[in-house]
Amino acid sequence: MEQIFDILAAIFLVIGGFFGFVGSFGLLKLGDPMSRLHAPTKATTLGVGGVLIASLLHSFGAEGYVSVHELLITLFLFLTAPITALFIAKAHIHRHGDDYELPPTGGDASWAVLSDSEEEPVKTD
Amino acid sequence: MSLFLIAALPFLGAVFPALLIRAGRNACSWSAGLTTALALVGVLLHAPAVMRGEVIQARADWLPGLGLNANFFMDGLGMLFAILILGIGLLIIIYARNYLSREDPMGNFYAYLLLFQGAMVGIVLSDNILLLVIFWELTSLSSFLLIGYWRHLPEGRQGARMALAVTGAGGLALIGGVLLLGHIAGSYDLTVILQQKDVVQESPLYLTALILILLGCFTKSAQFPFHFWLPHAMAAPTPVSAYLHSATMVKAGLFLMARLWPVLAGTPEWFYIVATAGLITMVLGAVIALFKDDLKALLAFSTVSHLGLITMLLGFGTTAAATAAVFHIINHATFKAALFMTAGIVDHEAHTRDIKRLGGLRKLMPVTFLLATLAALSMAGIPPLNGFLSKEMMLEEASHTYWLDNHWLIPVMVTIGALFSAAYSFRYVVHTFLGPVRDDYPHRPHDPGAGMWLSPAILVALVVAIGLFPQAIAGPLVHTVADAVTGQQLDHHKLKLWHGVTPALYMSAIAVIGGAILLAMHRPMDRAWIAAPRPEAKAIFDRLVGALTALCRGVTDRLHDGALGRYAAIFLAVMLVLGGYAYATGTTIGATRSGMPVTLLPLIGWICLIGSTICVVWFHRNRLLTLVLIGVVGLVVSLSFNYFSAPDLALTQLSVEVVTIILMLLALNFMPKTTPAESSGGRKLRDAVLSVGGGLGVGGLIYALLRGDSAFPSISAFHLENSYKGGGGDNVVNVILVDFRGFDTFGEIIVLGIAAVVIYAITEAVMQTGVRAKLLNRVPDQPVAGDAHPMMMVVVTRVMMPVALMVAAYIFFRGHNQPGGGFIAGLIAAIAIIMQYMASGYGWATERQRYPYHAIIGSGVLVAAATGMGAWLNDLPFLTSAFGYIYPPGLEKFEWATAALFDLGVFLAVVGAVLLALDSLSRYAWKPHTDTPYPMDINPARDEALAEEGRKA
Repeated sequence: MEQIFDILAAIFLVIGGFFGFVGSFGLLKLGDPMSRLHAPTKATTLGVGGVLIASLLHSFGAEGYVSVHELLITLFLFLTAPITALFIAKAHIHRHGDDYELPPTGGDASWAVLSDSEEEPVKTD
Repeated sequence: MSLFLIAALPFLGAVFPALLIRAGRNACSWSAGLTTALALVGVLLHAPAVMRGEVIQARADWLPGLGLNANFFMDGLGMLFAILILGIGLLIIIYARNYLSREDPMGNFYAYLLLFQGAMVGIVLSDNILLLVIFWELTSLSSFLLIGYWRHLPEGRQGARMALAVTGAGGLALIGGVLLLGHIAGSYDLTVILQQKDVVQESPLYLTALILILLGCFTKSAQFPFHFWLPHAMAAPTPVSAYLHSATMVKAGLFLMARLWPVLAGTPEWFYIVATAGLITMVLGAVIALFKDDLKALLAFSTVSHLGLITMLLGFGTTAAATAAVFHIINHATFKAALFMTAGIVDHEAHTRDIKRLGGLRKLMPVTFLLATLAALSMAGIPPLNGFLSKEMMLEEASHTYWLDNHWLIPVMVTIGALFSAAYSFRYVVHTFLGPVRDDYPHRPHDPGAGMWLSPAILVALVVAIGLFPQAIAGPLVHTVADAVTGQQLDHHKLKLWHGVTPALYMSAIAVIGGAILLAMHRPMDRAWIAAPRPEAKAIFDRLVGALTALCRGVTDRLHDGALGRYAAIFLAVMLVLGGYAYATGTTIGATRSGMPVTLLPLIGWICLIGSTICVVWFHRNRLLTLVLIGVVGLVVSLSFNYFSAPDLALTQLSVEVVTIILMLLALNFMPKTTPAESSGGRKLRDAVLSVGGGLGVGGLIYALLRGDSAFPSISAFHLENSYKGGGGDNVVNVILVDFRGFDTFGEIIVLGIAAVVIYAITEAVMQTGVRAKLLNRVPDQPVAGDAHPMMMVVVTRVMMPVALMVAAYIFFRGHNQPGGGFIAGLIAAIAIIMQYMASGYGWATERQRYPYHAIIGSGVLVAAATGMGAWLNDLPFLTSAFGYIYPPGLEKFEWATAALFDLGVFLAVVGAVLLALDSLSRYAWKPHTDTPYPMDINPARDEALAEEGRKA
C-alpha cells in the first residue's frame, strides 16, 4: 500500500520537475516577450502543482495524515499566477505597445491598457 | 490629609479648569479655587502638629535603585511655604477671575497656574532631593507657560524664553549639585542630608556642590548676575507676576538655600558667595527700581532687591539672621503680592502702567490708593507695618557683620539699599496716586469691583496686623520656621515693634529721610540716569544666545546639512574609527564553535544575495530596478533566517518586506524614474571606501559572534529553560516578546503608534501648504496606463481577503507555541487590507473603512495596557502574565494565556500603524474627481446593464 503512494508521488514529482524544466527552458528560448510569458506560468502551475500533489500523497501515505496546506498553497498559486501574468502583459503593452501592431479586440473598445486615461477616470492609490 | 494628596491635588485639579471652561468662566475659576482651598485645608490640618515641632512624613519607593523616591515631609519651613503658595494662590485665583478679559483663554490660565502651584508645593514638601529637582524643573516649565501666556505679545514670548533659558540652565547646575551633595551625604533624603553638616563641609567636593547648588538658587531667585530675567518676565499678566514674583517661583531659590542652610551655611565660602551676591543684588535692584517708569518693572526690580536682602541674610550664616530672613519672607510675600495686584488694578482701570502718565489717582481710586499706600509704606519700612519689623532685624544683623574685616562696608551698603528702597516705595505712591487729577489718562480710571480689590485687601490687612501685633500673629510661626531652617532649638526673642534706640533705628531713619529727599530730587536724577550709558541686560543676553545659536548652527550644518550621504558618511567614519580602536585595544575570544558545512542551496542563496547587492550598486540610477533588486535581497534574507532556524524572524521579515516595497512604490510614484549623476569621482571613492569598510566591519563582527562566545554568558539559556515553565509557550521568541520583555514590547507598540501618527501629522501639515497645489497639478513624466483597476485583480483580491485574514488569525493563535504571533499577524492583516487599496482604489477602499486607524492604534495600546494592569488585581507587578489549561469535553487540551490578550494589543497597534502610515502617504497622490463609485474601471456587466437600460428608455 505504502509503495503505491510512493510510486504515485514519484510520478508526480517527475511531472512537476518536467514542467518546471519546460518553463525555465521556454523562458530562455522563446523569442518575444509575449510568448515568453507563457513559459513561467506553466512552471508555476503545473510544475509546482505536481510537487504539491506529490507532497500531499507522501504525507498521506508515509505519515498517515491528510495535509491541507498544499491545497491552500495550490489555491494561492492558482489565484496569483494569472494575475502576475496579466500585469506583466499589461506592463509590456503599456511600454512597447507602439512597437508592433496589436490584434483587434473584437469590440468597440480598444485595449484596456491603451484606453485614454483622460477619458477614463484614473484612480491612483 | 496625606502629603501625597496635598502634593498631587493641584496637578489633579489642573484638569478641571481646562475642561470646565466649557461650562463657563465661573465654573472654571471655582474649580481652580476649590482645588487650591482643599489643598490649603489639608496643609492647615497639619499645622498644629507642625507648630508643636513634629515633622509630618509620607514615603513611597519610586525608583529606589536611583535613590529617587516619592518621599515627602513637612516641617515648619515646608509648611510656611505651602501656606504661602496655596494661600496666595487662592487669592490670585480670585483676583485673576476679574482681571482676565473675555478674550483670554481662562481654562488654560488656571490649568497652567495649578500645574505651577503643584510643582511649587512639590518643591517645598519633597524629602527626596532628586524629587525636589524634578519639581524644580516642573516649575521652570510651567512658569514658561504662564509668563508666555499672552502668546500674541512678542515681549511675553521673549520674556518666557529668557526665564526658561536662565532658570533651566540653573536647574541643570542644580542637578549636578544635588547629585554631588547626595553622593557626599550618602543619601538623597533631605532628612538624612540635613544631619550631615560636618561630613558635607569637610568633603573636598563641598565647594563644587555649593557653587552648583547656588547657581540653581541664584538663577531661580534672580540674584546678581542672573537678575535680568525677572523684569522681562513682567510681560506676563499681572496675576502671574504677583504669584510668581511675590510668593512662589523666585522664592524657590530662597527656599532651597534655607532648606540646605544647616548643611551648607556657616563656612566662609557660603558667606562670601551668598552674602555678597545678596548685597549686590539688593543695592543694584533698589537703584534700578527707582528709575523704572513701568509700575510692574519698578516692582520687579524691588522684588530683585528684596530677594537680595533675604539671600544676604541667609548668607550671614547666623541663626538670628536666618530668623530675620524667615520673617522677611513672610512680610515680603504679603506686601509684594498686594502691590502687584494694585499695580494690576491701575493697569486694568487706567489702561497704562507708565508712572509718567499717571498721578492723581488718589481721588479717583480711593480704595486702591489706600491698599497701595499701606503696602508700599510697609515695603519702605515705615512703622508700624510689618516691613519695618523685618527690615529692622536685617539692619540690626547687618550692623555687626564684617566683610573682610571691614566694619563699615555692609552697614553702609545696606543703608544705601534701604534708602533707595524707601525712595522707590514713596515714588510708587506719590507719582501714581498723589498730585493733581489729570485729564489725559488713556482710560478714565475708577475703583474696580470687590472681586479685584478683595485679594490685596486681605493681604494688606495682614500687613497691618503683623505690624501691630507681631508676636501674637506671626511670632510662633516665625519661631517654628526658624527652628526648621536652622535645624536647632533656638532661644527666640519675642518679635516686637520697639527695640529701643539701636544702630538699626538710626540706619532706618537715615533710609527713610534719605528716601524722601531722593524722591524730591527724582526729576533731575532721572534725566541723568536716562542720559547715562548703562549695560542693557536683554541686549547682552540676546547677543549671547544669538552667538550660541550661530555656533551650534554652524557645527550642526556642517555635520548634518540635509544630505543623507554626508550624514551616513560621518556616521560610518565615526563607527569605523571607534570599531578600529576597539579592535586594536580590546581582546577577542577566538572561535569556539565550528562553522556549518557549505551546501549547495545556501550557496545559491548567497550568490543571489551578493549578486543582487552588487546589482543594486551598479543599477542604482534606475529606481524601479533597484526596488526589485532590494526585494530579492529581502527575500534571500528571509530565507536565510529560516535556514538558521528562526522561522519567526523569517515570517516577520517577509511581511515587513512586502509592506516596505509597497511603501517605496508609493514614494517612487512622485520621483523621477532615474537618479541624476551628481557625485564626483572623489566622493564616489570616499563613499566606496567607507561603505566597504563599514560592511566588512559589521560582517566581521557578526562572523565573530557566530563563531565565538560573547564576553558574558548569554541569556538565551534562561529563556529556553523558562519559556514553557514560566510563560506557558513553546515559541520562545513569542514568549520573550509578550512575557519576558513584555514591557519593551509595550513601549515599542506605543512608539510604533506615535510614528504612524507623526507620519499622519506631517502629511496633514504638508497638505495645508502650497505642496498640495503642486501635487494636484502634477503632470506625470510618462503616459499613465489605462485600466488602473483591472477586473481580475479586483475580484481576486476580494476572494483573497478572507483567506488572508484567516491566515492572519491562524498565525496569531498559534503564535504562543509555534512561529507566529501578534506582530506578524498584524502585518498580514494589514497586507490583506492594502491589497484592497491597491486593487480597488483609494477612494473605494476608504469609503468602506469604518474604523479610523488612529482608534485602532489606540485600542491596541489600551488593550495591551489593560492586560498588563490586570496583573495588579492579583497583586502582581505590571504585565505579569498568567496562563492555564482547560480541558473541554470532547476536545483537545486548550491553553488560555493573558499573553494572548497582550498579543492582541500588539496586533491591533501594528495593523493600525501600518495602515495609517500607508494611508497618509497615499493621500499625496489623491486628486479630486478621480473616484468612481465602481471598483473596476472596465466592467462588461455594467456596460450591458447600461445598454439594457438604454433599450428600455
